[in-house]
Amino acid sequence: MSSRIPLVPENTEPLPSLKGNQGMLAWVSSVDHKQIGLMYLIITGVFFVIGGLEALLMRIQLAQPEMDFISPEVYNQLFTMHGTTMIFFVVMPFLIGIGVYLVPLMIGARDMAFPRLNALSFWLVVFGGILIYYSFLTQSGAPDMGWFSYAPLSEKPFSLNKGPTYWALGLLATGIGSIASGLNNIVTILTLRTAGMTMRRIPLFVWMILVTSFLIIFVFPIIASAFAMMLLDRLLDATFFTPAHGGSAILWQHFFWGFGHPEVYILILPAFGIISEVIPVFSRKPIFGYEFVAGSTVAIGLLSVGVWGHHMFAVGLGDVANLYFSLASMLIAIPTGVKVLNWIATMWGGKIIFATPMLFATAFIIEFVMGGITGVAIASAPIDWVVTDSYFIVAHFHYVLYGGSMFAIFAGIYYWFPKFTGRMMSETLGKWHFWLTVIGFNMTFFIQHFLGVMGMPRRIYTYQDFPYWGSMNLLSTIGAVVLALSVLVFMWNIHVSLRRGKKAGDNPWNAWTLEWAAASPPAVHNFDLVPPVRGRRPLWDLAHPEQPDEPNAKVVD
Amino acid sequence: MADNKMLIKFFIASESIFFLMLILAYVNFKGTVVDGPTAESSLNPYVTGIFSLFLLASSLTVWLAGKSLRAQNHTMMKVWLLVTIMLGAIFIFGQGREWAGLIEQNITISRNVFGTTFFTLTGFHGFHVLIGLLMLSILLGLALFGDFKGPKSDGVEVISIYWHFVDGVWIVVYSVIYVWAFFL
Amino acid sequence: MEKLGGIFNPSSPEMEALAGLTYYTMATTLGILLLIVAAMIYIIIAYRKKPDDNQEPYQNFGNLNLEIVWTLIPCAIVAVLFILTCNTMKVVDPPVGDHEPDIIIIGHQWWWEIRYPKSGVITANELHIPAGKYMLARIESVDVIHDFWVPELGRKIDAIPGHTNHMWIVAGEPGLYIGACAEFCGTQHANMHIRVIAKTEEEFKEWETKELVIPPTPRSGLAGEGAKLFQEKACMNCHTILGTAAAARVGPNLTHLNNRQTIGAGVLTNTPENLKKWLTNPQRYKQGSLMPNMKLSPAEVDAIVAYLEALK
Repeated sequence: MSSRIPLVPENTEPLPSLKGNQGMLAWVSSVDHKQIGLMYLIITGVFFVIGGLEALLMRIQLAQPEMDFISPEVYNQLFTMHGTTMIFFVVMPFLIGIGVYLVPLMIGARDMAFPRLNALSFWLVVFGGILIYYSFLTQSGAPDMGWFSYAPLSEKPFSLNKGPTYWALGLLATGIGSIASGLNNIVTILTLRTAGMTMRRIPLFVWMILVTSFLIIFVFPIIASAFAMMLLDRLLDATFFTPAHGGSAILWQHFFWGFGHPEVYILILPAFGIISEVIPVFSRKPIFGYEFVAGSTVAIGLLSVGVWGHHMFAVGLGDVANLYFSLASMLIAIPTGVKVLNWIATMWGGKIIFATPMLFATAFIIEFVMGGITGVAIASAPIDWVVTDSYFIVAHFHYVLYGGSMFAIFAGIYYWFPKFTGRMMSETLGKWHFWLTVIGFNMTFFIQHFLGVMGMPRRIYTYQDFPYWGSMNLLSTIGAVVLALSVLVFMWNIHVSLRRGKKAGDNPWNAWTLEWAAASPPAVHNFDLVPPVRGRRPLWDLAHPEQPDEPNAKVVD
Repeated sequence: MADNKMLIKFFIASESIFFLMLILAYVNFKGTVVDGPTAESSLNPYVTGIFSLFLLASSLTVWLAGKSLRAQNHTMMKVWLLVTIMLGAIFIFGQGREWAGLIEQNITISRNVFGTTFFTLTGFHGFHVLIGLLMLSILLGLALFGDFKGPKSDGVEVISIYWHFVDGVWIVVYSVIYVWAFFL
Repeated sequence: MEKLGGIFNPSSPEMEALAGLTYYTMATTLGILLLIVAAMIYIIIAYRKKPDDNQEPYQNFGNLNLEIVWTLIPCAIVAVLFILTCNTMKVVDPPVGDHEPDIIIIGHQWWWEIRYPKSGVITANELHIPAGKYMLARIESVDVIHDFWVPELGRKIDAIPGHTNHMWIVAGEPGLYIGACAEFCGTQHANMHIRVIAKTEEEFKEWETKELVIPPTPRSGLAGEGAKLFQEKACMNCHTILGTAAAARVGPNLTHLNNRQTIGAGVLTNTPENLKKWLTNPQRYKQGSLMPNMKLSPAEVDAIVAYLEALK
């Protein structure tokens, strides 16, 4: 370990400095986990706006039957890019980024185990994103085969454009970056915990990042090999996924969902981690059933790699496979349900402060359960045959990914913004943002459950004037506009809070995990002195010496 | 355990999944070739088998290099590193020879699913061998300039773990492609 | 008030079973959601911090019995749902056995080819079936993956190149059931409609007989000129018209075009005016369609339309 220190140049200024007196180069060349974490957050913010605009254009096109607002070619590029962007360049790098920022602080470390690898991960994500968006400038435009890029539509001769090639290359780069960050997180969490910070005491957010990192290093290679095969097909005329030449269209689906389903948990587990930090602090109680929340995460991680076939019920895999994948997928509801009930039990009997982070966390529980229960339903193969590839599915996964992941992300931003910047976010604007988000989000997506079961397939650029389709879609579009408005309020909140926000102090929420013992923003070296860790809530123990969490804990120093 | 070694072990776990998928793709298409070349019709298990022995031997020599370092015998470490690189290079030469022979017979990656899966699997393995050779050469170069005073070096140990992995993958690949086609 | 479609109008025994399972599951899970919402509302009201209360609440770290109970309850719900799933699958997907398919449905970019192997009838984008009779369909694709879906009649099933699927199709009552391709298949995925036309047994027989008659090729007049143009222009490179040299299978079989309800897999209703518009520039109505703009003169369009109108 001693060999590592000289490799990391010490910054002279406390970072992250938002005054920017060091210029761009200090950021670009940084290997500080806090600076890299912030850069992740900034870049995902940019992609979030781009992906959101893509969604808005689609909703405008669908506002009425047979609209002529955008062409089918452009529409297909938009939904492909929207999905790809939101999954690979917003939710995932956000969660990795906030993890990179917080994990070392939470476990009392100076930095990640491999700071330069950390920087490499980040820049690979950026590079992948640029590569994919660059395809808009090519002659035939961006990829247009959907984010799961089913073969042989993604292959020659059905996609002769360059979009899918850029797409696979870009995601390959991003995926390698993600694997590197997964490896980095694992080693960091396993080896750099401060004295007394046992695995049974690390914050639940760190647990979630650990399980997510294991998922990343074991499932991203699946898609990396599939991308390699797809590129060989497209560039060297290999025949992996071209049935006309002996290849298999279904093999791609096995590879893709073998990665793709665990990916869903990569997108939600760190969000669970955020919720598991926010709810206790604002309920003024410790998390209810720490072992069960952590253990159920491990269970979800293990189950998630054996359920990919529920994305393929319509493929015709046979009864045995369909029944197996139905059962296995339903089982995931059990550890997930355990988590939700533990969060509710944490709030029960608390003295809850409904600041903006807690508003989002509370709404998260309901919105996520809404996405979860439709998820249990569609785990049943026959129900899936009804709703798959329809707007019901669009509604379902937006409840999980927006109602779930994004609500948690907003909770996390409001919660840790004071730590990142030293300033509080505006509560007034936060409440506006919250209510507009809840209204806009549910207005956009709830109705889509019904559109789906009434027969509206997903990924159609236009639809005929079937009874009620027009008015239901219009409602959804209006909801999308409200949702866009909520994002504007959020961005305005960030803008004003950075400049005029109330000074935060080290621990504005009176929270208990180690990151709140550092300065806001933390010094380059994070801690002058890491507080003693004799339980899961070191700062509670400091504030309540008469009532420590683990009265019999041995003092380890 | 030092974090460097922990990192390479998890990295190898991750890489194993990558190769597992390439192998699954090969297995998935084995026996589905309708016309054109197959493993049985176009490969020579004996020649490749002999070249494989060189790669297997290089695992031993890289271990000996590490052992020499631990024994503070820097000269022998450099010798064993050099031998390892040469053995790996002979293996790569064998693979290049095999590829050239196949391509001469118009057996290419685009010919059929056998060509596709065979060249992809052996190609990615060969690429890993090349990366390993590059790292070993850097190691040797640094050693010649007097680095690695020993008795411990994460650099030597990490690259040695990687090299064993590349070797192990080849045993699986050879079994799946050659042993399955000719000796089962 | 217009009737709601899809799952709200199940029109076959299969779809009734599917709708039943869906309703049951949604009702159960919605019940769970409502319980959680009720708990949250109670919590929000009862456990909100009072402004002057600065005491920390009782610090409760968990309860093993409670954890066991709320692990077991979802287990029970999952078990019930799984049993219902097994039962429904039996109803929806009866075994195929050694039945020969009655219908072959072939997905194309962006239309459906429908073949009746037992009678030899070939049509496109319209599936005629006798109501009340179980018809075994084999589903295939010639290019990319499509998905056959008629929401009021039953399940979805993928049409995959290099992989055949089977499905029983049945409609309870005569009527028109509109469906679409559900798996994204390229530019015009949105306009790949399928119309299932369920008829009485007699009507179906009558239709089948009519479809088997090869219409005479007009030799004179405008229609005759159209028939000649059809052979001279590139039309016959893609389409089949029985009784002529046109025998290609790239585009829909046009032998009885005039009996069909729509043009372009549902983009236009099949009238002479619409057919003229379509022939003048198909790309205007189905942008990206594999049928190019043939740059026909208005006179040529009139002639070809007259010919196609004669194909009954």
